[in-house]
Amino acid sequence: MNCTHCIIQTVTFPVLPARASSKTLISPFLAQVYPKSTFKNAHQTLKLTSFKVRASLDNSGDTNNWVSRLPTGALSGDKIFKLISGATASPIGQFISSPTTFLHSVDPRIKLIWLLALVVLPARSHIVMRFGLVVYIALLSVLVLPRHVWMDQLGRVSLLSGILFITLGLGSDGVPPLVQLRTPPPAITGLPNLPMSLSGYSYLIMKLGPLQFTRKGLSVASTAACLTFTVFQSASLCLATTTPEQLAFAMRWFMLPLRYIGVPVAEITLTLLLSLRFINLVFDEVRNVSLGIVSRRIKWKQLTIIETIDIFASYIRRIFKNIFSHAEQISQAMIVRGFRGDSNSHKIYFLSDSSIGMADFVSLLCLIGVVGAALLSDYYLV
Amino acid sequence: MDLPALFRAAAPPSIPPLHSAPSPRSNYVIEKDNNIAIEGRNLNFSIKTRKGGLVPILKDCSLSIPSGQLWMLLGPNGCGKSTLLKILAGLLNPTSGTLYLKRPKSFVFQNPDHQVVMPTVEADVSFGLGKLNLTEDEVKCTVSKALDAVGMSAYMQRPVQTLSGGQKQRVAIAGALAEACKVLLLDELTTFLDETDQVGVIKAVKNSLNASDDVTALWVTHRLEELEYADGALYMENGKVVKQGDGSSIMNFIEARQSSYINRINS
Repeated sequence: MNCTHCIIQTVTFPVLPARASSKTLISPFLAQVYPKSTFKNAHQTLKLTSFKVRASLDNSGDTNNWVSRLPTGALSGDKIFKLISGATASPIGQFISSPTTFLHSVDPRIKLIWLLALVVLPARSHIVMRFGLVVYIALLSVLVLPRHVWMDQLGRVSLLSGILFITLGLGSDGVPPLVQLRTPPPAITGLPNLPMSLSGYSYLIMKLGPLQFTRKGLSVASTAACLTFTVFQSASLCLATTTPEQLAFAMRWFMLPLRYIGVPVAEITLTLLLSLRFINLVFDEVRNVSLGIVSRRIKWKQLTIIETIDIFASYIRRIFKNIFSHAEQISQAMIVRGFRGDSNSHKIYFLSDSSIGMADFVSLLCLIGVVGAALLSDYYLV
Repeated sequence: MDLPALFRAAAPPSIPPLHSAPSPRSNYVIEKDNNIAIEGRNLNFSIKTRKGGLVPILKDCSLSIPSGQLWMLLGPNGCGKSTLLKILAGLLNPTSGTLYLKRPKSFVFQNPDHQVVMPTVEADVSFGLGKLNLTEDEVKCTVSKALDAVGMSAYMQRPVQTLSGGQKQRVAIAGALAEACKVLLLDELTTFLDETDQVGVIKAVKNSLNASDDVTALWVTHRLEELEYADGALYMENGKVVKQGDGSSIMNFIEARQSSYINRINS
């Protein structure tokens, strides 16, 4: 941009009004700075002042305020805060007490073993088995959870898994010339060409412009996507059908032998319970503060970037302040209710019935069946 | 004995001398008449400012509350009600003065989200019992009774965050009741509640008091209509109790102050 800078000699006539008001160009606060006599004699005083002014012109001759052209309103803060308040309205992984299903009656320890199996199996089994597990968990979610819950959960997890599948499928083996060794073609080495597969095998499954979907890509993408789906959805399913106390009880049961090697099992259990309680408070705070900002009807389009950032910074600061205040109050409540800081001396009661029933047997048999099928799939499915 | 009547004409309150002379800094005197559940004499409490100065919150505050009754503590904002309650709960230590309180005592916070510690209803009610060595059956029975007293027995397995403000407040009260406390200290329980929940919570407290002769409750409030449920009341101003008596006398006292204030403005 061509800019012209020049120095201009100017003469000013500081005609100050006798009584400055809010409508005058001179601030009324000047009255506090200058003595009254200054204002009285101002109109009689003519003072020659010389100072330098820098002016700039661009090619078109228009003055452009580039700051005002920045897209501050493109990502409307109002929309973001509404999204935040909407997304946190229903905390993820909340226990659903009714309707009571057979999964509610399964022992929490068996549910934890299932969770562990669902983390390991998609990574170690055949692709058919992986997709089979995804379908199984999806069907179980539809059967067990209320309609609006499973639709919401499956929608989010499917979207995440789908994005992972596409990006990894096309990206993991999509640019072979750049990442693979450039081995010489068979014609140079004198070796005969490899015969084509009689069964129609092809390493390349699909070509999409410069990207290619290969068998390696399919394997990586299916493992990552299925693993993501099973981990997230099975955890959601477990949290929806198990109370936090039952989960803490199961965790404690598995960790009890670790006491002998000095693991603070009681402390971990109490921390887990407090965390599960605190998650909801955090969700509440995030939602309440964002609703508070939305209700102020801020004109986001008129704000500069710095002002928008300032609002977001104060939002985050406020959330942390409120959460720390909550933590302080809860610690006071715990003291008032008899907790003296030692988790071993303050007993946590798990009142839920934890006897093994028919649902547990069925669940265990299903688990053995799934694990067995996963093991056999490696041998029989090629 | 008509204990509220005893205090009816008490302005400033005349409190009988304590049985044992306390040391200048001691806070608790254990030997006490069985008819009195809470008694404080010349309680002072100050906080230090950043510059090292002292700001007095309570100034020679004295009170006496008989056993087995529901008393209310009223006063304008900043007069020291919550501070007095926290001193009675043992969360703060008075700068000077003597205090007698029957034990065990329980404190219920203004905001139930600060009081409810565990994620589900039954786990939270049983949390306070952790300091006692009880069997699981005893805990179950106690939790069930406490939730029954506040009308929440159908919500045992419910996650706390799915409850309304009034229901959370009742769970908090049930937690206090489960500990079989002799003194209940309740800090503005009905602030966040609508009229239905307000009455529900007051009745829950009143019912639990009626079920046991020995439980005393001190209820901090700003709502004058709640006075009709009280056996007695205290009115605080500028860090001290200026009036102690039954509900109607405190109501008359407040109304007289309001009318004199209105007259002063209009004149």
